[in-house]
Amino acid sequence: MSEYISDVIGGSKSLLVGLSITAREFFKPVVTEQYPWVVPEMTERFRGHIELIRDEKTGKPKCIVCGMCMRSCPSGCISLAGKKPEGEKKKALTKYHLDFTTCSLCGTCIESCNFGAIQFSNEYNLASTRKEDYIFDLLKRLEEQG
Amino acid sequence: MSVPVQCRHDETFVLNLGPQHPATHGVLRVKLTMDGEYIVKAEPVLGYIHRMHEKMAEDGNFAQFMPNTARMDYLHALAYNHGYCLAVERAAGIEVPERAEYIRVITVEMNRLTSHLLWWAAFLLDLGGFSPLLYAFDDREQILDLLERITGSRLTYCYFRFGGVYNDIDDEFIAGTYAFIKRLRSRLPRLYHDLVTGNIILIKRLKGIGMLSKEQARRYGCTGPVARGSGINYDVRKNEPYSVYPEFDFDVPVYNECDSMARYMVRMDEIEQSMRIIEQALDKLPDGPVRAKVPKILKPAAGDYWASVETARGNLGHRLVCDGKKNPYKLKLRSPTFSNLSCFGEVAEGMLLADALAFMGSLDLVIPEIDR
Amino acid sequence: MSIVEETRRALLVLFPELAAVEEEARAAAQAEAEIQAAEEAAAAEKDENEMDALLAERDAVRLDAESAKQSVAADEDNLEAAEQEDPAAEKKEKEPEEEGPRENGIVLTDHASRGTDIDVFCDPDQVVAAAGIMDEAGFFLEAITGVDWIKEDKLEVIYDYNQYGQEQCRVVVRTFVSRTEPEIPTIMDVMPSADWHERETHDFYGIRFTGHPNLIPILLPEDADFHPLLKDFTP
Repeated sequence: MSEYISDVIGGSKSLLVGLSITAREFFKPVVTEQYPWVVPEMTERFRGHIELIRDEKTGKPKCIVCGMCMRSCPSGCISLAGKKPEGEKKKALTKYHLDFTTCSLCGTCIESCNFGAIQFSNEYNLASTRKEDYIFDLLKRLEEQG
Repeated sequence: MSVPVQCRHDETFVLNLGPQHPATHGVLRVKLTMDGEYIVKAEPVLGYIHRMHEKMAEDGNFAQFMPNTARMDYLHALAYNHGYCLAVERAAGIEVPERAEYIRVITVEMNRLTSHLLWWAAFLLDLGGFSPLLYAFDDREQILDLLERITGSRLTYCYFRFGGVYNDIDDEFIAGTYAFIKRLRSRLPRLYHDLVTGNIILIKRLKGIGMLSKEQARRYGCTGPVARGSGINYDVRKNEPYSVYPEFDFDVPVYNECDSMARYMVRMDEIEQSMRIIEQALDKLPDGPVRAKVPKILKPAAGDYWASVETARGNLGHRLVCDGKKNPYKLKLRSPTFSNLSCFGEVAEGMLLADALAFMGSLDLVIPEIDR
Repeated sequence: MSIVEETRRALLVLFPELAAVEEEARAAAQAEAEIQAAEEAAAAEKDENEMDALLAERDAVRLDAESAKQSVAADEDNLEAAEQEDPAAEKKEKEPEEEGPRENGIVLTDHASRGTDIDVFCDPDQVVAAAGIMDEAGFFLEAITGVDWIKEDKLEVIYDYNQYGQEQCRVVVRTFVSRTEPEIPTIMDVMPSADWHERETHDFYGIRFTGHPNLIPILLPEDADFHPLLKDFTP
């Protein structure tokens, strides 16, 4: 019987403590963000999918088509191609596809690049229901950025 | 009050718990032979999220396995990063700069906080309390923001590199971490402990439930908070010091009660200890490089190497067998929850189903880590 | 005595021929130490001021002498045992030489560079005895795994043991089984945690743990008849 009473007292005490905490927290400022209306700003190092970097002098991508990123990628999600334009010494990039469905954002490709030609983007609004939407043509993206 | 229910013992039935069940935290299935509400036999069925990481390790070179490490224990991904780095660094004889070691410890401990906070939230959700989840996620979010600032990701980090870390931490991160620790210090007793630990329902649900004796824990190879809740003073950070852990002053919480409450208390105390480690590491943080010069393709000498780290769930071991080539000949992952869960069948025998779920929650299971 | 040394001595039971050699060396060393200690004690006796130290040393000498006596007795026992088993022991020693470079025995490894302290190499039928010794010494099983040495045409089975003590001591027990008929006795009766580890190793390498009551796939699908970690496995 005494156990029963102590349970009742203990239970009421727990209830009161819980309610007081809830009441206290109720008047604290809201911590959630109303996402579609309030858009969070990504930090500088946020790892979105990779993107090509433009060479400021020439306006072309810095990439020299060595294929190091393609070889170092653990999941083989980069495919690129390039050819030598007439009368030039260096190869020019003609295709740079990223299969984002298998990319794990590890940064191995960026580290393997000796020419600083790729970096993480800040892109994060990427929800889609179609797989094809995640095959990014990074060269086209760079051109569109203009 | 508690009158044992008289059951007809010739009538048992099989109950499938999972693989899609909110209380199993993932795709764990437990085949339960039930006698009314009592468990006669419990048999965990694993492998629903098995991905054969060990084979993937053999396929690529050493660096290419790095992103996989975060995808096993996704709640304490940086500890897996750390464990794999330690194994490879030991094999290849790589020295890590001191500043990098400190950054590793800081980030791993912050990640441990997120893991414990999430466990706390999910565990109480299992027991039927919803509001703790919201409080814990509020705090966890702060750490994730801080870690995102440094590592660029929020859950599956790939931040450590052989011989250091991917990039340095900045002053804003340091200030933010100090502020966060101050905040959690004030919230921990006034919110977490008052609201939950002292609550009579929680105590009634956990005290004396899920008794895992010291000897049982040893015979099943339990480590981490599960072992420490059974009175075993074992923490890889103390028993087999790695990185710069010997330089910090922290305690290993050990409880002798052997029940679910003891395991709960161990984790709550560990949150405090982790905060102590982070503070000391930030105070002592030396200057210097964060990454040693390491060849891009590693070719460690033939032989086998073992490296253990303490994750939020226990002793994580990597056994690396090298044959002098650029890819691991074999990589064995010793995941702590695999061993911790193996005692479930024996302990859950004769328990009420609801108690068994509380016990399962107190083991802190992460299924992708068990299945690898 | 450090835990590594203690464990190593406990494990010597597995290798009687090595134990005999060891005992002989140890007895000789101890006898020498005894003489030395006695000499020191005699020297110390002259000094009356150090009465306490003298007493302590005398005790030590007495203990030493006793343990030496015991070890000599044990030595004799062991020698007899070794003599009886000598032909078998010789065979055991020679066989692995033909197969590979590693002989049965115990090697101490450097923890800082290897991560392990004691490396035991034994015959497949000795793993249960090894597990028993480890269990008695208070060790727990960390992992069981295999390694496929396809060029040498054999499978290696590795057992990792660790203990909860403050001093570090990790023991590796390893053995080779044939690749065509991989069979090894189960250690489940000694270490219940071996249940799942053995099932996992059976999944990945096809090693049959004889005596295991429930050797069904654990991580692979229930109907899996392939062993993905074998080097000649192609999905």
